[in-house]
Order: sequence, then C-alpha cells, then structure tokens
Amino acid sequence: MSRQPATRLAAEARHQTVLIARDPGPMIGYTVMGLLLITATRPLYTALGTVIPGPPSAGIDQAAAGMAVMFSLFALKVGAAHLLNERTWHTWERLLASPAGFGEILAGKALPIFIAIAAQQALLFGFATAAFGLHPRAGWWALAACALAWSACVLLLGSGASTLARSPAQLSAAGDIVALLTSVLGGAIIPVPLLPGWLRDIAPASPGYWALNAYRAALTGTPSQLGRPLLVLGAFALAGAGIAALIGASQHSTALPVRRQRRTRPELTG
Amino acid sequence: MTAVLDATGLVKRFGSTVALDGFDLRVSAGEITGLVGHNGAGKTTFARVTAGLVAPESGVVRVAGADVTRAAARVRPLLGLAPQELALYPTATARENLGAFAGLYGIRRREARIRIRQLADTLMLGDVLDRRVRDLSGGQQRRLQAATAMVHRPRLLLLDEPTVGADPVTRDALLAVVRGAADDGAAVVYTTHYLPELDTLDATLAVADHGRIIARGNRAALLATVPGHAVADFDRPPPPLAAPAGSPAEVCREGTRLVITAPEPASALVPLLAAHPDAVAHLRSIELCPPTLDDLYRHLVKS
Repeated sequence: MSRQPATRLAAEARHQTVLIARDPGPMIGYTVMGLLLITATRPLYTALGTVIPGPPSAGIDQAAAGMAVMFSLFALKVGAAHLLNERTWHTWERLLASPAGFGEILAGKALPIFIAIAAQQALLFGFATAAFGLHPRAGWWALAACALAWSACVLLLGSGASTLARSPAQLSAAGDIVALLTSVLGGAIIPVPLLPGWLRDIAPASPGYWALNAYRAALTGTPSQLGRPLLVLGAFALAGAGIAALIGASQHSTALPVRRQRRTRPELTG
Repeated sequence: MTAVLDATGLVKRFGSTVALDGFDLRVSAGEITGLVGHNGAGKTTFARVTAGLVAPESGVVRVAGADVTRAAARVRPLLGLAPQELALYPTATARENLGAFAGLYGIRRREARIRIRQLADTLMLGDVLDRRVRDLSGGQQRRLQAATAMVHRPRLLLLDEPTVGADPVTRDALLAVVRGAADDGAAVVYTTHYLPELDTLDATLAVADHGRIIARGNRAALLATVPGHAVADFDRPPPPLAAPAGSPAEVCREGTRLVITAPEPASALVPLLAAHPDAVAHLRSIELCPPTLDDLYRHLVKS
C-alpha cells in the first residue's frame, strides 16, 4: 500500500472530478450565459468604446473580459458548493480521519475546480476569438497568465466563502449578491469610467476590477500594465486562502493535526 | 494478546458537559468489543477521539502502540471509521465512493478494484455498484458505509451504530462482514443499542455510562452477575411463598403468577416449591427467563 501524498492527492482530485462531472448543470449554465452575453453586448461595448476615455479597445475586448470575469464569479459559487457539500454530506470528517492531510484534501478538491474555472475562461475567450476576432495584442501568453491568475483567485476566494456559509441556500444567495456586486464594481458590466463617481472610488476594492485591468492590459497590448493587477489578484487569492485556512481550521479545530510520521517503529503494547 | 487499541483515562468536555470522564478501553487483535451505553454515555465521543477528530483534554489513545494525538499520521492508515450518520457521496456511484476511500488510504487502483468486488459480493452490493448512492435503499447505503470503512483492511475498525434502521437481511450481512474482519485479525469497536447483535458477533462487552466504562469483559461472566427470572404460573393465586433466609432471591406474587428474581432463578425456585408441595399440585407452567444483555445493561446502569 502506498501512502504517498501524491497518490492520495491524485485520488482525491479524481474523485472531485467525478463529483463535478455528475452535476455539470450550473457550470454549463454559467458558461452558456457568458457566451450569449458576449454576443449580445459586443455591439453595445463597441459603441461605448468611442466615449470611454483610456486606451482604444475593441468592443469584443470589453465584452469577452467582462463576461469572463462575471461568470467566473458565478462559477465560484459552484466551486464553493462542492466544498460545502463535504460538510452537508458528513464526508468531511471522514476525510479528516483518513491519512490525507488537510492540505492534501484541499488541494485534491481544489485542483479540478480550478481546471473547470480555467476551462470556462478558455471557452469564453476561445468563442470571442473564433466568432468576433478577439486578438490579445500583448500575446496569448499574457491572456493565459491573466486567466490562470484570475481562476486561482476565484478558486481561493470561493474556498474562503465556503467556510463562511452555513448552508447551500445561504451560499447560493450570498454568492449571487457577491458575484454581481464584484462584477459591477469591477466594471464587468458597465466600464468603470462610466460608473457613478462614488462607485469608481471603491471599485479597486473589487478583485474583479483588477482582473479586468489585467485582461485589458493583455488585450490592448500593454503588458507593462499587467504586473500590478496580477500582484493584487495574488493578494486577493492569499486573503481567500487565509480565510479558508483560518475559519476552516477553527470550525474543525477538533481535528488533530497530522504530524509527519517519524521513522521509528510503533511500539506494540502487550 | 496484543492490544491494538489501548485507551487510558480519556477526559473530554464540551462546555459544561463531560463527554468522557476517565474512559478506559483495550481491544485486542481479532476481538470485537460491543460498546453499549445510553445516549450521551460517551460512545460516539470516544470513537471521534480514537479517530483523531477530537483531541482529549487528558488521557491517551494508542493504536498499535502509536499515540493518536502525537502520531496521527501513523495511526490514521490503521483506522477504519464508519460514523453514526451516513457519510457518503450521494451523487457518485457506490463503486466511486469505495474507490475514493480506497484512494485516500493509498490503495492502488488495481488492488482497489479487487477489494471493492470482494466487499460488494460479501455485502450484497454487487448489483448496485454502478448506481448512484442517492438511488440506493437505506439498507444498501448502510452496507456501503461499512464497506468504505473496511476497504483498506484496517487494523482497528470503529463502527458507530452501523445497523441503525437496517432491515434484518442488511443486519445479518453487516454482522457477517464485521465478524469476518475480526477473524482476519482486526480489532473492532462496535457501538450499538441492539444488544442481541453482540451475541451474533460473539463480542466482548464494554458498558459506558457518564463518560466511563462501568463494566468490561466476557458476556457470560457479566451476565452471571445479573439476576434472571423464573415465572411459575398456577391455576389459582399461589400461597405467599417466601425465599429462604439468606437467599439472594426475591419472590413476588402477580395474580396467579409467582416471579422469582435471582442470579440463578431455577436454583432458587426448586427449594421454594419443594417446601410447598400443596402449591405444586396447582402448578400449570414454569418459564425460565435467563438474564439478557438488555437486563445486564439496565442492571449496571441502575446500580
């Protein structure tokens, strides 16, 4: 029997993939809605492009980036729900009682969710490219870096949210509000320069704002402006991870820490 | 015999509630210990402490010599836990659930497939392995839960009321597989309120009350300390018979019945009737009721 962390992590990740695949509806829904809204809002953003101050930006840039940010925030709810399910199904304690450490469990569960969110981003930008000629002027690598950073940020914020929620209904309601608020503040629906002044002032508090800044830098060909937004997204991700670790640990403070096995043989009691 | 589980002096409080108050239990390899006690006696808390889910305030639990608190990483691969509540993934199939738990214990996929098939056959789950858990009956879910605890062949199996709500067929299958695990060398702590199950399992007994073990040992030896009953039924109210002076027997008249309560009720009844031959002429029947595990439990808790 192998008890190596990588084997257990792979097993947990495989199992989490199965759980996501068994209930794909919400993820598909949030992706299809993104595709529809990219199509519907592109003419609007193209028209707005002439009145928005700042770098020239094709309508599809704002439509694709805005919808990618907004619907990944809704997808965050899906990821958080998968983590919350472990508690409502009473399986969390069984995971904690297994040889897998807390980090292995979280990483094993998070990896497929991260892949799902990143795949959603790829699909939305892929559609925008194929259907409307989206072209990241800073290069595909820049767009991919943004998508991966944002997916990680969303995932870790979702992990934090899942520890705060007490029930699936609570998570769903709060998730909708947070996703919409973060999207609006970030400028995913209405570009930030067109928001009311007081909303513009607090927009940087939204991780969506930084995600859109990063995407805009990748799409408009200003990679020099990519570093700061990615750093801030990293900080948001760390905050989400911190919440997940702190609150998760306090909620399950009864669980004993798994200490690494010493190389001594167990002493058998007679 | 080697003690796989050795718990000593466990104390655990939840606020003002004392869940464990000096709880001691040793279970050897191949031994099934029936842990019985009323709700709140500390059975589930003990299972959670042993599984490393709750840290005791004092006391030590050792599994195969390793301290559960200090060497959790060494202990956890040796444990199989089936908690009282169903803890399965309802949207996944039975096979996927078993595979997930096997993977968590580091069992390779090929070996897991073989083990899953064995458990499914033993627990009559073969036909439903590819059905989602939410579509299984309650009994099938119970069997699956036990199977997930045993998929990695643990050295210590903690089963917390595994047959709650199970039908007789499910119960028989579960008891057989638990007995089989013990025969293969596992130490089993089997928490239950259905005491006759412990006879089927040929389990030793540990009675918990207020967070500590108040009786521990072989069922027969413990039962010998509990009074049983003999009921003599007459065709008319019997005369007021009394137990001989110094006898531990208690005699009680209930209409036409005479109820003798004594550690060995038959032995107490015979001299009583022999002393009253006129009453014997009216005797219709004698029913001997040896003490049951239920009687033992009530007796211990009462005393």
